[in-house]
Amino acid sequence: MRKILTILSLFFTITTYSQCVSNETVVVSPGGPYSPGQVVDVWYTLGNFTGININWIHAFQINLGVGWTNLTPTGTPANPGGSVGNWVWDLQHTFVAGLNFGPGWRFNNTGNVDWGTSSTGPFIMSFQLTVAQTCTPDDLSISMEVFDDCTTGGWANGNCCVDPPFQIYNGVVLPDLINTSSIYHY
Amino acid sequence: MKKFITILFVCIGLVTYGQTTINPDTVCSNATGEQYFVTNTPTSTYNWTVTGGGGALQTGQGTDLITVDWGGVSGLYLNAIGVIESNAAGCPGLPVLLDIFVLDLSSNVIGPFCPGDPSATLVGNPAGGVWAGTGVTGNNFDPSTAGVGNYVLTYSMAGCNTTINVVVNNGPVTGPIQHF
Repeated sequence: MRKILTILSLFFTITTYSQCVSNETVVVSPGGPYSPGQVVDVWYTLGNFTGININWIHAFQINLGVGWTNLTPTGTPANPGGSVGNWVWDLQHTFVAGLNFGPGWRFNNTGNVDWGTSSTGPFIMSFQLTVAQTCTPDDLSISMEVFDDCTTGGWANGNCCVDPPFQIYNGVVLPDLINTSSIYHY
Repeated sequence: MKKFITILFVCIGLVTYGQTTINPDTVCSNATGEQYFVTNTPTSTYNWTVTGGGGALQTGQGTDLITVDWGGVSGLYLNAIGVIESNAAGCPGLPVLLDIFVLDLSSNVIGPFCPGDPSATLVGNPAGGVWAGTGVTGNNFDPSTAGVGNYVLTYSMAGCNTTINVVVNNGPVTGPIQHF
């Protein structure tokens, strides 16, 4: 009985964490840990987005720890078989429902301005980051958060997708070690 | 061969870094231009502090090598020299400290002497140093051995020294006994 409950609990957990997004993968180069000034490239892929209540994918938000700087997009996602429009890079955007978004890519639907795209993917995008100059072990976490157009407020047909951010990297800045020698006297 | 190469590297290392400085480091009182350094990292800056012992930083603040002039008061001065290295990002490292012992040598005054006077004891302060000079044997000065003249005797310890001047005068020249 306990075994069945455990399996049920595990299944529930998995479905909770993958409500609308699936097959998320990432490549980070070089791998951590990172020191001040280091440049890091990230390639993120969302294999599939299947909305609930006809919710469409609307935005990819990059969540960064304070230890990062110089976020630069290097590859914009495509829109395979999707609605008319394109993915645009934004540092900040306020959606119709008041959601404060950014930085990341959001879909600019040129037919229905507040909707996302009907595409289910795959969505491949990349960006570059630099570790800020610091003397302290600042947060270097990276995660990707996917929003549907229900969450953004463009579509209302029941519940919205609730998918937790996809953790890309967790770590802190490795400050340069300062190893001063003893004092010598000529 | 491997042993020889190892010894060679050790020797080169000693030449490169100078002598390894023992803590506390001993300096002579009123020494000037004493050089202190740490192993240099070209992108780093170095903030030095000199406190106690009458020490005054003369040159090199910000670099890996400084010169210091010291005062004349003998004693042990804890953490008299300190340095904090900062890297290119301006991040400071841990302070590195060095205690300083200022050594002020002194001695007793002896003489003047006449030839034939008994040996005099030389007293250096602090004790434990070495006396040198004409007529000196151990811690004694023998006017007879030295003979008539002016002499500079040196008392040395830990690379410091002090001197005293000693005079051995001519004895009176007495003529033959006359009978009036």
